[in-house]
Amino acid sequence: MPLFLKERKSLVVLTALIFFQLILISAQVPLGYGENYFEKAVFSIFSPVQHGILSLSRSIGEFWKNYFYLQNVQSQNRKMKDEMFLLRQENNLLRNALENLRSKKEIEESLLKLHENILVAQVIGFDASNFYKSAVINKGSLDGLKKDMVVLDKNGSLVGRIINPVALKESRVQLITDNESGVGVFSQSKKVMGILSGDDKGNCFLEYIHVTTEDIYEGEDIITSGKDGLFPSGIKVGKIVSITTSTSLFKQVKIEPYFDIRDLDQVAVIMRDPLEIF
Amino acid sequence: MKDFVKVSLGIIIAFLLHTILNKISPSLVLLFNVFSLVVIYFGVEKNEIFGACLGTFCGLIQDSFSLGVFGVAGLAKTITGFTAGYVAKKIDVLPFLRSFIFIFLLISFEFILWALLYSFIFSGSINTGRGSIFFQPLSTALVGSVLFFFLRKFKRSEL
Repeated sequence: MPLFLKERKSLVVLTALIFFQLILISAQVPLGYGENYFEKAVFSIFSPVQHGILSLSRSIGEFWKNYFYLQNVQSQNRKMKDEMFLLRQENNLLRNALENLRSKKEIEESLLKLHENILVAQVIGFDASNFYKSAVINKGSLDGLKKDMVVLDKNGSLVGRIINPVALKESRVQLITDNESGVGVFSQSKKVMGILSGDDKGNCFLEYIHVTTEDIYEGEDIITSGKDGLFPSGIKVGKIVSITTSTSLFKQVKIEPYFDIRDLDQVAVIMRDPLEIF
Repeated sequence: MKDFVKVSLGIIIAFLLHTILNKISPSLVLLFNVFSLVVIYFGVEKNEIFGACLGTFCGLIQDSFSLGVFGVAGLAKTITGFTAGYVAKKIDVLPFLRSFIFIFLLISFEFILWALLYSFIFSGSINTGRGSIFFQPLSTALVGSVLFFFLRKFKRSEL
């Protein structure tokens, strides 16, 4: 085949591929984060591979740890026993306080339900284009996960929510640091309400705080308000690091989230609002 | 059949490295573009059509693990794979230093293309991972040229 025909053939293939992807892109743009079946299919095929790779590397890592770091186990165990003792005390005190309000049987049932509705998951990967946008966890629809379930870190701070696509054994979490996320929150002291949104760079902003609002301070804790109908109220989100005003109608309130992306190994998925249980 | 095994193996290794780097530190993924190395390698080894098709495939895998518009990385990698195959046909890019410059330029080109598409679609700036993303062409080219050098050496010894 002459060279110019060969080159033309290459250009036709390239144009077709570009065209295919441009159609794919333009079909999604009006939907924003809406479900894309092609993407869901690719995610469902490749997320188990990622899951498998990570499980294998984790097993190797565990073997290494078990073998070489055994001497630390004793001191760690002692420390954890102390911590557990304190937590048990705290748990008993809280139970006692609750028993004054409700019957013991009712509380036992509620606590059991609460346990059943918390699912522990491992983070197996982060967003390939921007790690502050989303993460992939090793639990999926077979474990009962659905879109919009709330995800917390090991300290109980808000991480984000489950979004589509949800594969059989893996699902994606939209982090609160994503600029497309929105969480109804308020400041802890004076209950100033606002909407928390990410900046795609690891921090968040409290939006729609009017310049005339005085009752909001640096260093203050931000917690979920529950008014968005998505995130239960009372979850720790972050703290205010700076408040600036400009010519805009609203203040620029910068929030540092409590969850640390570098320490995000294990997360808890809340499968039902705790307030619904209690 | 042999080619299919080779390409599959390349993709699996890239996926493995991507997952491990992601787990060690998410910012390492910004520093090393492992999928692009597979696309460039096979684009040079085979031809521009192969490079473009592999670019589409690898880019879409990468896109499926990103939140946002599916196809942005796919598009950038398709063009990169095609360019790699096309240029390699005209210029000898196999010597170590040329290979380094070639990968550096291609990764820079892909990065600019991806950043432009990303900013155009999302109307916002990209996450630079405290500037580490700007080192992506350099670090990927360095690793890539060393890797390609040894792969060629291995291939020659096989013959």
